[in-house]
Amino acid sequence: MTLASQVKDRLEQEPNILSISNISKHFPPNIIALADAGLDVRKGEVHCLLGANGAGKSTFLKLVAGAMMPTSGEIRVDGKAVKFRSPAEATAVGISMIYQELDLVPQLTVAQNLFLGHPPNNRGILDTKTRRIEAEKALKRVGARFGPDAKVESLSIANQQLTAIARSLTREAKVIIMDEPSAALNENELEAVFQVIRELTAQGVAIVYVSHRLGELREIGDRVTVLRGGRTIETFDVEGTPDSALIEAIMGKDRQLIERKERQPVTGDVVLDVKRLQGAQGLDIRDFLLRRGEIIGLTGLNGSGRTSFLMSLFGARSHEADMTLDGVPYAPKNPRAAIRNGFGLVPEDRKTEGLILQSPIYKNATLPSMQGQFWGRHSYQKKRTIPVLDQLATKYGRPEQNVVQLSGGNQQKVVLAKWIIKGSQLLLLDEPSRGLDISAKADLYKLVDGLARDGAAVIVASSELEELYAACDSIWVFHEGRNIARYNPSETDQDTILKCQILGEHSGVNTDG
Amino acid sequence: MADIMNQLEQKPSAMRRLVNLAIEYNFIVIFLFVVTIASLLSENFLTPTNISNLFQQAAVVGVVAIGMTFVILTGNIDLSVGSVVALCGMIAAIMLASGMPIVLAIGITICAGAACGAFMGAISAYAQVPSFIVTLAGLVSFRGLTYLSTEGVPVSGLPSAFAAFSSTMVPIFPGFQLSSMGLIFTVLCVLAGLLLSKTVFGENIYATGGNPEAARLSGIPTRRIIVSVFAVSGIMSALGGLLLTSRLRIGQPTAAQGLELDAIAAVVLGGTSLFGGRGSILGTAFAVMLLQVLRNIFNLLGLGSFYQMTVTGIIIIAAILLNRFIDIRRGRG
Repeated sequence: MTLASQVKDRLEQEPNILSISNISKHFPPNIIALADAGLDVRKGEVHCLLGANGAGKSTFLKLVAGAMMPTSGEIRVDGKAVKFRSPAEATAVGISMIYQELDLVPQLTVAQNLFLGHPPNNRGILDTKTRRIEAEKALKRVGARFGPDAKVESLSIANQQLTAIARSLTREAKVIIMDEPSAALNENELEAVFQVIRELTAQGVAIVYVSHRLGELREIGDRVTVLRGGRTIETFDVEGTPDSALIEAIMGKDRQLIERKERQPVTGDVVLDVKRLQGAQGLDIRDFLLRRGEIIGLTGLNGSGRTSFLMSLFGARSHEADMTLDGVPYAPKNPRAAIRNGFGLVPEDRKTEGLILQSPIYKNATLPSMQGQFWGRHSYQKKRTIPVLDQLATKYGRPEQNVVQLSGGNQQKVVLAKWIIKGSQLLLLDEPSRGLDISAKADLYKLVDGLARDGAAVIVASSELEELYAACDSIWVFHEGRNIARYNPSETDQDTILKCQILGEHSGVNTDG
Repeated sequence: MADIMNQLEQKPSAMRRLVNLAIEYNFIVIFLFVVTIASLLSENFLTPTNISNLFQQAAVVGVVAIGMTFVILTGNIDLSVGSVVALCGMIAAIMLASGMPIVLAIGITICAGAACGAFMGAISAYAQVPSFIVTLAGLVSFRGLTYLSTEGVPVSGLPSAFAAFSSTMVPIFPGFQLSSMGLIFTVLCVLAGLLLSKTVFGENIYATGGNPEAARLSGIPTRRIIVSVFAVSGIMSALGGLLLTSRLRIGQPTAAQGLELDAIAAVVLGGTSLFGGRGSILGTAFAVMLLQVLRNIFNLLGLGSFYQMTVTGIIIIAAILLNRFIDIRRGRG
C-alpha cells in the first residue's frame, strides 16, 4: 500500500467538517451567479476547487466565507446548519478566507495584523504582551522566519501569505479557504506555502484550495471539485484522475460554441512588429506580428501577462521594447501617443479604467475624439455617438444618461464606441466580452470581424477560449509572461490549446509560429 | 439595475420633474429661502443698493471660489489661495506705488498668480504628492514671502485711478448699478461656467476628477489638466488680490487670512464633490451669495460675528448631509 493511498484511506474515514449542498445565488431580476453548487470538506484534507472564469468560483467562495448570503441551499459546519450574515460570523465558527489580494494592513506589524479585529485586551486596554506571545505561537506553526514586530509592508508576498495563514490560526480556523494563493508566488515561495499546508492538514485543519493550475493540484490536493456554469460538476480524487478528465469537466462536453466561420487568409501588410517587449513581473514577449485585417487572440491564465502586454502596447505601463509600427520604430510614452498612432484600448475593467461612470454616455463615447479641440460641441458629439451605439445595438434611454445607469454589457459597448468614433485602426481588447450575454458576444465579435475586414488590426485577450477560437485568425498562448505558442484555430483543436494554456508547455506539433 | 433603468425611462409627471429639479438644484432653493427670510426681516434687504453691496462684498471670496471649484472638480484641493491673494495684492501694490502703469501691473500680478498655482500643481501632479500637502506648504510659504516683501509693513500711496478697478459703478439697468468688482465676479462666473460646460478642457476636468485612470487611458493629459486647474486657481487668487488691494487702497500683508476656508466652504456648499468629477460653477456662485446673505442677515439683526461663524458652520454641515442624502437616494452612495 502506498503512502498516498494510506493517507486517502485515513481521510475517507474522517467526518465532513464543512458540508455545502445545493447553494445558489441570484441577483434580481435575472442574474444567476451560482445555480446549484455543493462541496464536502473532510477534516484534514486539501480540497481543490477548479473552474473556468465565470464558473461561479468567486461567488461560491463569498457565500462560504459569509461575504454574501445564499439565495437557497444549506451550509453545515460540523453537521450543524449555519447561516452567515457577515464574514465575522463565518470566522466565529472556524471558516477563514484568505483572499488573493491579501487583506492585511501593510502599515501595521505582523502581530497587529494577526489579531486585527480581535486583539487580546483587558477592558479595552490592549494586552500587547499576550498578543506578542500568541502571535509568535501562530507564526511558529506556519514556520515563519520573521518576527511578530515586522511591518507587513516590509515582508515578501510569500511571507505576507504566511501571515494571512497565521491569522486564520489565531481565529482557530477549522477550514481555511485559499483563493489562488500561487498567483503572486514563485516556485520556492509556493513550496514553503505547501509545506505549511501539509503541516496544518496533519493537525486536522482542512484547506479549500482554489487554483487554475493542474500542476499544483497534483502536488497538494487530495480531492478536487469542478464548477462549471454555476454548478458543481463532479468531485474527483486527485490520484488516478487524468488531466483530460479534469479539463473535460472544466470545459464541458457540449460546449455552446459560437460558430467558427472559415476565415480568409490574412494578406494585409504587417502593422505591428514586436521583436521584443519586456516589462515588470517577467513579461517577455518575442516576435509578435500583427497584420492589417488580422484578429489575433491572446489566451492564458490570470497573471500570464496578457493585460500587461496590451497596456504596454498602449503606452500605459512602463516597459522596454524593440518594435515597429508600419515599419517605423514605435515607443509609446503614454496612452496619448498610442492613440495618436491609431491604437484604441478596451481595458479589462470598464468601471475603473474604461468609463467615467457619473458622466453622460455621449461624453464618454467621444472623450478620445475631442482631444485637441477647444469647444466641446455637444450636439455634434451626440450625432457622432448615436449611430455607433445603434450599430453596436446598445440599449440606452438617452445619450445624456450617465453610463452608470447602463447594464454591464451596454457599458462595454460605450467603451468600444470610443474607439470606433475615434477611428482607431489598431484595437486592443482586454476581456471585451466580460459581462455580455451570448447574443451580445456574437454581436461584438461580428463587429470586430467587420472592423478587421475594413482593415483594422485587432488583438483580443480573453479567458474564454471558445470565443477566440471562433473569431480569431490565430491564437497566441501566454504563460507566465511569455508568448509560448501560436496556433491556427482552423488546424488545431481547442483541447490542445487549452492544455498548453494550463500546463504551460506545447506539443510543438500544431504550432505554426 | 434594470429597475433603475425602467424608472428612468418612464416619463415622470410634471410635479415629479419639478421635485427632481428642486433636489438637483437644492442650493438655489435654499438660497431663495434665505433671501425670503432676509427680506421679511428687513425692508432694506431687497433694495438696489443693498443688492449691489452684496455683490461687492462677495466678490473677493467669489472669484477665489471659482478657481477653487476647478481644483476641487479634479479631486484636488488648494489651501494656498488666501496667501496667494495676499502675495499678489502686495506685488501689485509695490509695483503701483513705484509708479508702474496700472495695466502692466495687473498683467504681471496675474502672471505671478498663475505661476504660483502652476508650480504647486506641477509638484502635485508630477511628483504625485497630495495637493493638500503641497498647497499647505504654499499657504505658509507664500504668506511668508508676503511679509518678507515689505518686512510686514503695509504699502500705501497707490494711484487713485487703481481704485476704479474695483469701485466704478456700472449701470446694469435703470435704477440698478453694480460696482465693477461685483461685475467682474459675475462675468467670471459666466466665463468659468462656459469653460467648464462648453469646452473640451472643461470636460477633461470632469473626466480627470471622475475617473483619472479612465481619463488617462482615453488619451487625456491628466497631469497637464491638474497643472492647469491650479494655474486657474492661481489666476483667480491674483484677481482676488487685485480687487482687495484696489478696494482697501493699500497693500496689506495680513489680508485674506482664512480665505481658503471660506472658498472651500462655498464650493462644497454649492454641491461640488470633494472627490472630484461632480459639481458646477452655478452651485459655487449661489453658495457664495448665500453665505454673503447670511452675513447680511446677521448684520441686520445686529448679531455679532461669533453667531455668524457658528451658524455658517451648521449650515455647511446641513448642506453636506443633504447632498449625501441625495447621493444615497440616487444609488451613488
